Amino acid sequence: MKRVLGLLILSLGLSNLALAAATPGEPAPAFEAKDITGQTRKLSDYKGKWVVMEWSNKDCPYVKKHYGSGNMQALQKKYTAQSVVWLTVLSSAKGKEGYMEASDAAKYASEKNVAATATLMDSSGTVGKLYGAKTTPHMFVIDPQGKLAYAGAIDDNDSSDPAVIAKSKNYVAQALDFGLAGKKIETASVRPYGCGVKY
Amino acid sequence: MKMIFVLMMGFSLTSFALENIQADHVKISWLAPQKFGAGTETLGLYFQMDPGWHIYWKNPGDSGAAPKFNFKGKAQTQISAMSWPIPQRLPISHLTNLGYEKTVAFLFDVQPDPKSIQVNFEVKMEWLVCQEECIPGFGTLSLSRSRQAGAKAQWSEADQNQIKYFSERIPASSDVSPWSVQSANLTDKDLQLRLSSKEDLTAPEIFPLDGNLLLPQQPKIEKTKHEVLISIPRVAGSAKVSKTSFVVASSGRAWEFESVPLTAESDNVASQPDLSLWFLLFSAFLGGVILNLMPCVLPVLSIKFISMTQGRPETRVKEVFLYTAGVLSTFAILGGIFLALRSAGSSIGWGFQLQSPLIVLSLILLFWLMALNFLGFFEMGTSTMNWAGRWHNSGSFVTGILSVFVAAPCTGPFMGTALGAAATLNSFSAMMIFLFLGLGLASPFLLLAAFPRALKKMPKPGPWMDSLKQFFAFPLLATVFWLIWVLGVQTGTAGWSLASGLLLLTGFAIWLGKSSRQGFVILAWLVGLGAMAFTGHSILGLRTENKQQSQWQSFSPARLAQARLEHQAVFVDFTAAWCITCQMNKKAVLETAKALQLFQDHKVLLLVADWTEQNPMITEALAKFGRNSVPVYAFYPTDGSEPKILPQILSLHILENLFKTTTSQ
Repeated sequence: MKRVLGLLILSLGLSNLALAAATPGEPAPAFEAKDITGQTRKLSDYKGKWVVMEWSNKDCPYVKKHYGSGNMQALQKKYTAQSVVWLTVLSSAKGKEGYMEASDAAKYASEKNVAATATLMDSSGTVGKLYGAKTTPHMFVIDPQGKLAYAGAIDDNDSSDPAVIAKSKNYVAQALDFGLAGKKIETASVRPYGCGVKY
Repeated sequence: MKMIFVLMMGFSLTSFALENIQADHVKISWLAPQKFGAGTETLGLYFQMDPGWHIYWKNPGDSGAAPKFNFKGKAQTQISAMSWPIPQRLPISHLTNLGYEKTVAFLFDVQPDPKSIQVNFEVKMEWLVCQEECIPGFGTLSLSRSRQAGAKAQWSEADQNQIKYFSERIPASSDVSPWSVQSANLTDKDLQLRLSSKEDLTAPEIFPLDGNLLLPQQPKIEKTKHEVLISIPRVAGSAKVSKTSFVVASSGRAWEFESVPLTAESDNVASQPDLSLWFLLFSAFLGGVILNLMPCVLPVLSIKFISMTQGRPETRVKEVFLYTAGVLSTFAILGGIFLALRSAGSSIGWGFQLQSPLIVLSLILLFWLMALNFLGFFEMGTSTMNWAGRWHNSGSFVTGILSVFVAAPCTGPFMGTALGAAATLNSFSAMMIFLFLGLGLASPFLLLAAFPRALKKMPKPGPWMDSLKQFFAFPLLATVFWLIWVLGVQTGTAGWSLASGLLLLTGFAIWLGKSSRQGFVILAWLVGLGAMAFTGHSILGLRTENKQQSQWQSFSPARLAQARLEHQAVFVDFTAAWCITCQMNKKAVLETAKALQLFQDHKVLLLVADWTEQNPMITEALAKFGRNSVPVYAFYPTDGSEPKILPQILSLHILENLFKTTTSQ
């Protein structure tokens, strides 16, 4: 009986601790957020399209790896040209590493030639926690039916050295290529690497 | 990179070596001999971090990256793979990292070229050092030492102590581990490990090596008498794998378990919830109705029926509703406990309320007193009449509660499906199933309340009622004997004698209490309560007896998996002492000479999964069949195909057919 009571108490505590996470194969959580131009973006706006969500933090060495080398911008350009919606999400809280006001984020985007469809302001961390975004860059790919098709690292090399990009297998590109061709996406989940999201 | 290199001059003018790196928040140096000798030496790369900063294990956890090492040297110098000391779980805001704070040394073996007089090599490194922010670093360390082929290597005492300290933190092979893996089952949500230890060790820490499969956070660990149950949460949506590796650390030592084969939750669990909720609720209701007829419930309801026909018509509706309320609230509470335990990760099943010997003992006493009362051995005296009046109403409620408790062991076929589903459904649906079971159980009474005319057709009260009451004492006594037997199975012969002694003493106390002398009445109470307190206390101290049947081995997923691997047919009997159907099947079919001969002829491995006491391993195995109750009979054919589930009522014919169909295939 003591054990039963103990477990009961334990269960009450544990249920609160569980971190929500978007699960591949299940509907991606619906969200609504303002982008750097002040426009409201909703996931439901993009029904029927492939959507990429990219968690970013300009000061994270791993984000620098992919932006400094131009790798991320190239991916954005390539896939938005194929009508994929690319949403870059900034979840750094005010005062934490990588936080930007909308105007600074816009300046950064033009300096770096960011080619995402939109950059979402999420300093409250609402969207990030909804998806269980752990790192920057943590990548999510959502299919036209609104189901999560991929969650995890951008590629298979967690080095911060941009030189390894050429030899790395890019999971986001693979998911999109397979998905756009109507094929089954083989790798739907990989451990994300990078810096922790600064909620 | 904002990296500062501290350049150090080598001892000889010819070697210009970087033997130290001083980078942001981390200092890296060699742990190496001053002079190599004849044999192989264990060297280290020593990292000293600033306070609050950390670097990572080979599986870094939620974020970060493991350091990378790339050795370059003469081909004749053999350098082993890197050994990683046991990491720490580092909670970093919302994440869990696996890594090291303060200092760590990564170790490797160097076997110099036997002909050389000088050992030279370098290592190109990449690392990530983090507080909450992370700073990546790159650098190359080189080592140049002379070698004296005929001598022992020369070490500084400080370096040698460091090597010794970190060597003890390198996981050893699982072959030498006191821990062994009893089962490893990968479900959609977690990896469920059961470990047992030869030694008395502290509960282990587990570090998964595959970050794509398992989350790094502290797993749920439950220690039982002989085993440790560990649930490591799985990365949502991660790909299915058949093997995984992890490090087990306890009592200051660690072992690496490499490529442990995983059993997978069978697919029919996922397909189970396809049954529509309405169908399940209907099954639950039907199961509840059938419960009324079960031999263990019937006596309780008989009592209720007597009181019902005696009661005044005005109070009948009220009583029916009180009874229904009793049934429903008990089901709701049991359902609540069931769900709470389930969310806590504990696996339990229906009948769990009978898995405690103390509850069984209380039921034995209750039924015994009722039977004695029915037989007229004692009456509720005039002094208790007032109390009985009040008892009448609350009595209906109590009867409701009681029916649910004694109904537990009698899981009907419909209940099995419904409760099995309840184990996999969401909380709301699961609770609905519990409540519909309750409605089913209460339905005959509800019908009587709805159609009062039916009650009028009942015979008029009269002397026949006393006879009926006396007659009903016998099913109650039968229940007492059965429960004593259950207790005996749970606690061994001591349980038998304790329970029987309790019955004897309470019977004696009641007789004594009938005396008109005050002293005897007080003595009677003392004897009765004393007996209860003593027995209740003693029963809790009893160890469960582990009984072993001759041809039957006790069930474990590992034993099953091994037999399947060896193409041996397996028959698993999921049973419990308190399950009457199980005992019937056992005596009438499974343990008959013919059945045993049949099993022996076909070289079937017989496994018994005894669920008399709560056993998560068996609950999990049942869940794979979408069940949460016993009996379940599973037959695994030799060809490795899916197991067959046999009907809950067995016959020799069913068993014979099993082999006809499998051999003709």
